[in-house]
Amino acid sequence: MFKAAIVFGLALGLRAETPEAVKLLEARCVGCHNGATRQSGLDLSRRETAVRGGDRGAGMVPGKAKESYLYQVLAHTAKPAMPKFGAKFSEAELAVVAAWIEDGAPWEERVVSAVSKVKHWAFEKPVRATPPGPGNPIDAFLGAERERRGLRAMAAADRGTVVRRAYLDVVGVPPTVDEMARSATQSYEQVVDGLLADARYGERWGRHWMDIWRYSDWYGYRNASEVRNSQKFMWRWRDWIVEALNRDEPYDRMIVEMLAGDEVAPEDPDTVRATGFLARNYSKFDRDGWMQDAVDHTMLGFMGVTVKCARCHDHKYDPISQEEYYRMRAIFEPYEVRVDRVAGQVDPEKDGLARVYDAGLDRPTHLLIRGNIQTPDKSKDLLPGTPTHLGPALGKVAAVALPLAAYYPDQRGFVHADLLAAAKAAIGKAAGDPKALAAAEAELPALEARLAAERAKFAEPPDLRYEELAAKARELERKAGLLRGQEQALKGQAELTEALSGEKPNEKKLGEAKKKLAAATAALTQPATGYTPIGKEYPTKSSGRRTALGQWIGSKENPLTARVAVNHIWLRHFGTALVPTVFDFGLNGKAPTHPALLDWLATELMESGWSMKALHRLILTSEAYQMRSTAGAEGHPNAAIDPENQWLWRMNPRRLEGEAVRDSILSVAGELDGTMKGPDIDPTKGFESRRRSIYFSHSADAQMEFLRVFDGPNPTECYQRNESVVPQQALAMANSQLSQELAQKLAKRLEGPAFVSRAFQTILGRLPSAAERTLAASATPGNLVHALFNHNDFVTIR
Amino acid sequence: MSTRRNFLADIGMGFTGLALGSMLQAEKPTGMPHFAPKAKRVIWLFMIGGVSHMESFDPKPELNKYAGRMLGDTPYHAALDNPLVKQNLREVIAGLHKAQPRLYPLQVGFQKRGQSGIEVSDWFPHVGGCVDDLAVVRSVWTTDNNHGAQMQFHTGRHVLEGQFPTIGSWVHYGLGSLNENLPQFVVLGEPIDTCCGGPGAHGASYLGPEHGGVRLEVKPESPLAYAKPFVATTEEEQRRQFDLIRGFNRLAEVEYPDDAAMKARIKSYELAFRMQTAVPEVMRFSSESASMQKLYGLDQAVTKPFGETLLAARRMAESGVRFIQVFHGNNGGAGKWDAHSNLKKTHGELAAQVDLPIAGLLKDLKQRGMLDDTLVVFATEFGRTPGAEGTNGRDHHPYGFSVWMAGGGIKGGVVHGATDEIGFHAVENRHYVTDIHATVLRQMGIDPRKLEVPGHKRIDIDFGEPIAAIIA
Repeated sequence: MFKAAIVFGLALGLRAETPEAVKLLEARCVGCHNGATRQSGLDLSRRETAVRGGDRGAGMVPGKAKESYLYQVLAHTAKPAMPKFGAKFSEAELAVVAAWIEDGAPWEERVVSAVSKVKHWAFEKPVRATPPGPGNPIDAFLGAERERRGLRAMAAADRGTVVRRAYLDVVGVPPTVDEMARSATQSYEQVVDGLLADARYGERWGRHWMDIWRYSDWYGYRNASEVRNSQKFMWRWRDWIVEALNRDEPYDRMIVEMLAGDEVAPEDPDTVRATGFLARNYSKFDRDGWMQDAVDHTMLGFMGVTVKCARCHDHKYDPISQEEYYRMRAIFEPYEVRVDRVAGQVDPEKDGLARVYDAGLDRPTHLLIRGNIQTPDKSKDLLPGTPTHLGPALGKVAAVALPLAAYYPDQRGFVHADLLAAAKAAIGKAAGDPKALAAAEAELPALEARLAAERAKFAEPPDLRYEELAAKARELERKAGLLRGQEQALKGQAELTEALSGEKPNEKKLGEAKKKLAAATAALTQPATGYTPIGKEYPTKSSGRRTALGQWIGSKENPLTARVAVNHIWLRHFGTALVPTVFDFGLNGKAPTHPALLDWLATELMESGWSMKALHRLILTSEAYQMRSTAGAEGHPNAAIDPENQWLWRMNPRRLEGEAVRDSILSVAGELDGTMKGPDIDPTKGFESRRRSIYFSHSADAQMEFLRVFDGPNPTECYQRNESVVPQQALAMANSQLSQELAQKLAKRLEGPAFVSRAFQTILGRLPSAAERTLAASATPGNLVHALFNHNDFVTIR
Repeated sequence: MSTRRNFLADIGMGFTGLALGSMLQAEKPTGMPHFAPKAKRVIWLFMIGGVSHMESFDPKPELNKYAGRMLGDTPYHAALDNPLVKQNLREVIAGLHKAQPRLYPLQVGFQKRGQSGIEVSDWFPHVGGCVDDLAVVRSVWTTDNNHGAQMQFHTGRHVLEGQFPTIGSWVHYGLGSLNENLPQFVVLGEPIDTCCGGPGAHGASYLGPEHGGVRLEVKPESPLAYAKPFVATTEEEQRRQFDLIRGFNRLAEVEYPDDAAMKARIKSYELAFRMQTAVPEVMRFSSESASMQKLYGLDQAVTKPFGETLLAARRMAESGVRFIQVFHGNNGGAGKWDAHSNLKKTHGELAAQVDLPIAGLLKDLKQRGMLDDTLVVFATEFGRTPGAEGTNGRDHHPYGFSVWMAGGGIKGGVVHGATDEIGFHAVENRHYVTDIHATVLRQMGIDPRKLEVPGHKRIDIDFGEPIAAIIA
């Protein structure tokens, strides 16, 4: 009865009382006798183990206190007298324990409290205020705040500085001398439009979003090709990011595609690439951690709330209950990761599409007591959901019926064609080796028969010849298998003989030969049991949960999504964010410096159809963006009022990220290989390959040293980069092969009249001053170029 | 500074350059101590997450006696009503971390140690063996009961007030260099996480990035990337090239007098040039004897990582690095020492990682005669609750916790200040975290009031008061 009452109470979200006796055990005994320490093999933190007892015997006989060893040691009627530390239980306490055991030792560990709504700016929908002045609303909002504080905006920087700023900001490399000259013939708006239409924009901003979306290439045991984290071919997701940005895909759509591209466009591999966002969380040995990352970082990246506290208990800052946390987990619970074949490559180890799909539609999700995977609360299966107080209600979750191409991807035409082509190529390769040729020649018709059977199997309407075709496929496959077995056996035997022939047997080769022989023998002796299917069949339905989540996050009713995105974009244009805690908009975060501006921009982003480019354009064409970044001589009145430039009375000079530094060196040296997209490149080849930095592998195991030195992103979590100035950066710029060799190369290229002027223009985008000319005169061309690479303003967005 | 003026004059900058040269001079400290220092350098050890004071340097047997009792049912019931509970506390979110009223017994034994008989827990037997060199301050308090206290411990300001210069950056700002070839403020170990202030705990805030801590990795096999020019260059050639770089940067600096990053970059090149040889040298552990490596625990897997870090710290101290800030316990979040549960297991394991190496460091400094002018500080952001959190943990506790110092003119074998019988409140000789800073600065010969930067008014609590009772 007692137990039932508690369960009922929990269902209503009421606070359940922990029995007094359990509290006593927790306070006096569990310090030593818990799941981790288990003194005397005893764990008193759970009912099950408390009853079972430890090394000295059974713990409890529920219903019979006097016969329970636990009671006896507490009452000091059995040894050892407990507790070992602290006073003996008082008579009153013993009575509580006895009554509780008599009562059947009811045990309810969990205390559930429904969190209540809190009033917090970020959890209310943004309100669009009328800009307090004419012109670009950004300037109007910023201007009002400056005026209130007696600050005057700095004048616009000179045109060259602004154009260089915009180039570095939007495409991540400085303008060439030609581009600079062309910009002088255009209006600034034309320059901005040109940059936003430039494909390099997707590479520059792709890297920013890769920070936020935790891009990581796979890692594990590279030698054994064992993937332990993330997935191979993650670069396809990177390419999707670059493309989506360049075509200005609406941000709300991007969110849906990253979370559920496999559900909303199951037949379009280009869209399914976006699910790399989730495939990246794969962890071979830690499904629990994988699920945690999926929940925690989806919420951090898109909504700027730290939900992870609610893994173990109701969130202490923000209105997120522990149960709500696990309801979010239920959204991800069914998803798994797979690699689909791509056109032109039959071996998915060599190339493929890493993607997600829902595998376990009926996998239950349970609340994990204290966040421990060992202690799920199985009394209740949790349905998918989202925190009540963080936005609108989660929309209806509707399962998605998948097309054949999605649930049986190897049925797609190109896979069949590629397999046939490979089988034909194998015949060509086997020429000159009669046994191998015979095997290959038998394998082609076997494959054709298998494909025919496969087509019949999935035909609509059903193909009545399926049984017959399957039998034929089996027959031919068996025939081919025998021939291949013989060929392998012969080869294995020959290799075995060779390996044994030398003075010292080659152990490795010997092992390989023996293995081959054993496999061949097995193939020869095993009866075939049906034909081998071409590929793997997956569930025909997806849960639709992730689609619902994506729509919830990208809903205009969601108070956080647009604000968080605006804040990230603002940060990367101005160097400071409107909400300084970019990763925490909750109660523990900082309030926005310009709440009205943030809200206006958030509503503008949504009303523009979630167009990032429209937002960039608005920012780039504001007067604020074009201000000088220095007040010049010291003692400027603004500096006394607002030395940290919190109110943006001048532009902030910013240090370039490592990627942009490397790309800029390559670019000004005329060495940048502008090839876009494709497989990730070995990060130790950062000099040999002249591709942009975004295309190199980046994972917890492998990062380009040059980028790391410049505060490269932590692939596990990087919502904002550091901007340190440390001697290691000076060493990288002064001593690396990149800067030294390319300095010489560029110096050669610039040889000729007006060398000094052209070097300055090429590298720093401006002409030298008289003093700089004087200094430059003393240097060799190579040394001058090298020195300008090392100029503070080469690594600075001025 | 005269070199700068000469330089600007040499290259014909004329009036602006000269005026600027003298102006920059005016805002800088001289680099000389304000009075005779007792210590030349600091090794600052920070345990991330909150070390239990009761189970380290402030054992409380009364917790065993009243284990499991509600605080209100013990003779110490007044602790909860103590006005300090409110006065001490500045919560980010009210009611977040409770006082945890059900007393939790000590999870480890303790003993009187050394001549002084100071009680230290059995998780720190080796440091306990050095207790006669320590001044244990058992009455430190802070105001944040969440992990923003990590940054607060270094800046003296609550996280809600923003970022401020850290103790290391003040030392760097105030004092000249003892070795021009190494950074004067080095950070070893993985610093605190972004949750809790991130680089803000070794940053310099408005003092400018050049005064921030420089992180170095303790990787003896490759201590410094890009340590050599890729194209073989003589030192003289390289020096000329660095001079050229500096020349251009200084010309540009004139245009941007308010750009602190620019100043920092110019300095970073100077240092970089010299670090090329100095850092690999300082990380060359192979020159240390086997017995020395053993002293730091390099022969055992458990102690090796922290042992190597502290050996590097000692070698840097020896080479003249002013402030060596060593972190232990980053876990990508609040910190490994944050024992909300499983305190016995986790604290036991973590203490085993640091205890022997720290003792090794103290002994090594002593045998080299360096302990006299090297100040070692062992700190954490707050203590842990006398009461249990859940079944086997302790919550955050800002009302009273322990920090110890050794060497650098600090008395050995003394206990200063006290918490009450259950370790709840600091009751005797209470010290806010900036008193630790003030003590460090006093020993280094710095008067922080003379370092104030125009436009950045500091308040009394920022300066703190040196703890006179532990100064020898």
